Amino acid sequence: MIATVARQHVRSLRRQHVFTVTMFTFVAMTVSAGAIGWSSHNTIVRVYDDATALLGAEGKPAPPNPFELVAPLAVLTNLVIYVPLIGSLVALIIGHLSVADDQATGIGRLIFSRRLRRSSYLAGKLQGTGAVLAIALAASWVVSVVSLRIANGDLPGIDELVRLAGFELVSWLYLMVFALIGMTTALATARRSLGLLSGLGVWLVITFALPQFTSGLRPTTSLNPVTDPVNTSQTFFQITANARPISISEQYKTIGAHLLGATTDATTADVWLRTLPILAALAALGALAWWLVSRHDYSRGTTDA
Amino acid sequence: MPRNRTRITLARHEYRAAVRSKVLLGLIAIAVVTAAASVYIGAVDYRSQLADYNAYVTAATANGIQQVAPMPLQPLSLLRGAMEYLEIIGAVIGITIGYLSVSRERTSGTLPLLRSRPVSKTQLTTGSVLGALAIITTLVAATASVSVLSLGFIANTWISGDQIVKLALAYLAAIVYIATFYCLGVITTASSKVAANGLLVALGIWLCVVLVLPQIGDTLDPDNQVPGGLFAALTLDKAHEEQVLSHFGTYETVRTTIENASLEKHFERFAFAMTDVKDKYRGFTLGQLLKETLVNLIWLAIYPTALVALLYRSTRRQPTFNPGANP
Repeated sequence: MIATVARQHVRSLRRQHVFTVTMFTFVAMTVSAGAIGWSSHNTIVRVYDDATALLGAEGKPAPPNPFELVAPLAVLTNLVIYVPLIGSLVALIIGHLSVADDQATGIGRLIFSRRLRRSSYLAGKLQGTGAVLAIALAASWVVSVVSLRIANGDLPGIDELVRLAGFELVSWLYLMVFALIGMTTALATARRSLGLLSGLGVWLVITFALPQFTSGLRPTTSLNPVTDPVNTSQTFFQITANARPISISEQYKTIGAHLLGATTDATTADVWLRTLPILAALAALGALAWWLVSRHDYSRGTTDA
Repeated sequence: MPRNRTRITLARHEYRAAVRSKVLLGLIAIAVVTAAASVYIGAVDYRSQLADYNAYVTAATANGIQQVAPMPLQPLSLLRGAMEYLEIIGAVIGITIGYLSVSRERTSGTLPLLRSRPVSKTQLTTGSVLGALAIITTLVAATASVSVLSLGFIANTWISGDQIVKLALAYLAAIVYIATFYCLGVITTASSKVAANGLLVALGIWLCVVLVLPQIGDTLDPDNQVPGGLFAALTLDKAHEEQVLSHFGTYETVRTTIENASLEKHFERFAFAMTDVKDKYRGFTLGQLLKETLVNLIWLAIYPTALVALLYRSTRRQPTFNPGANP
């Protein structure tokens, strides 16, 4: 029965072209990340050559190349920004649609006229949503490999392919958090738009407000994969830094940057430890979604105001 | 009823109906709280730096030093975070107000009732726009008041008359900027049979204009690729930087064109110039600042003008009678 619900959910997403839009979005953001990474990398190498020649003409020593130790996967660093920015919004909408559509079209009433447990219904919805996001991320992985081949002039090695797969796996976990946020806000509100906007409010808090409170990162700073260190010596940050683990967008960015070789600040053990808050958020939201689904009245429809 | 009175009555209706929305109030609360928090964080840091500077001035004066270094701190620059929140969350609030304005009338069925009175569609639209402007002004005024009071009480710096004028202009630009997104919310919702789809389209455009385009422009900037700045890492001064960048004319043109396509970037440049965020504007008079940011002001006028025209067109096409809510 779980598989039937999942198949119906995926079919519904395909019929509404949401599946196609999701695939296009993930492929486009991977191509864009690769193109930007390649372009800025090339420009910086040329700037470095020009600067070295200029300083050499003046008899000054050449500074070390700032990109000398950059890992091949670092070309895709922008993905660390695009997944929390664009991917999570797409996941939120998929999660929202998975519940809101059944309420609006009356399919929910029809489904529960059959012998179906609420937990199986939720598991089916999660399976369908998870499958769509996994396919989109798998496409992103393939495009990433092609982008790396073009940008670096060489195919990535096994270690790099595994790291890239690890990045996609962590991205999937992070996106599932937002799909669950979309589901729970749709289940908790009586109106469809209210659910969507509430989900958006949560997304704004996680993506922009929490990093500012816990690490002093301004909203536009959060948009750049390379950030200057922020002075967090104030008492305010000494208190709020304790809440940094719950700032899952920061945790995701650190893990992503490490896996793509853009930073060497954290150890591998530390990086995997950072997935715990994401897993905890998944578990908590999953429990909340189950609680809401089991109490939801599917005999009522939703309005749009 | 005189025409102006009708418009004001409609604007009042719009305002009252909007503030009844819990989601809108929630988003406004997020915007005000995050803006206040960002000013608070900056103000605490500023207060300690100001104390250090004052201690330096006292010590220098006591030692008979004639030339004391000018204060490097700019109190208005502490509003940078607050402005950035208006850029991002303010735009979402604008879209939400626009969306709610259309979907509310559709589902509550007040439109046929209003049209049974001697009220034209243009008056209806003008009333809604005025009501939305009043909500946006309330939001911006609340953010501005909290920010200025935080500067005064936490950073121990009360802004001067000149600074008030600059700040007023920055917040006026914020109202225009958010109102542009309100127009977008109305247009996309009014053009969609299913109101929620209109909201999704508006949010997609918001994502591209406010977050993706400026992000691409920023990331392509070579100086943003290395922590602390590429040119600083290469030990190049401003003159050398310009000399090197002169070889990258086409690249810079593409990069700035991408940035210029975003209304958000124009608002940001103007607001940052008015709030002393950028060092290059330090010491400029208000006239010089306005001259320097004229292009941004022109774009800030073009976008809302075009969208207001589209808004009147799309709301005129809205059916007066729309039976039942359409999810």
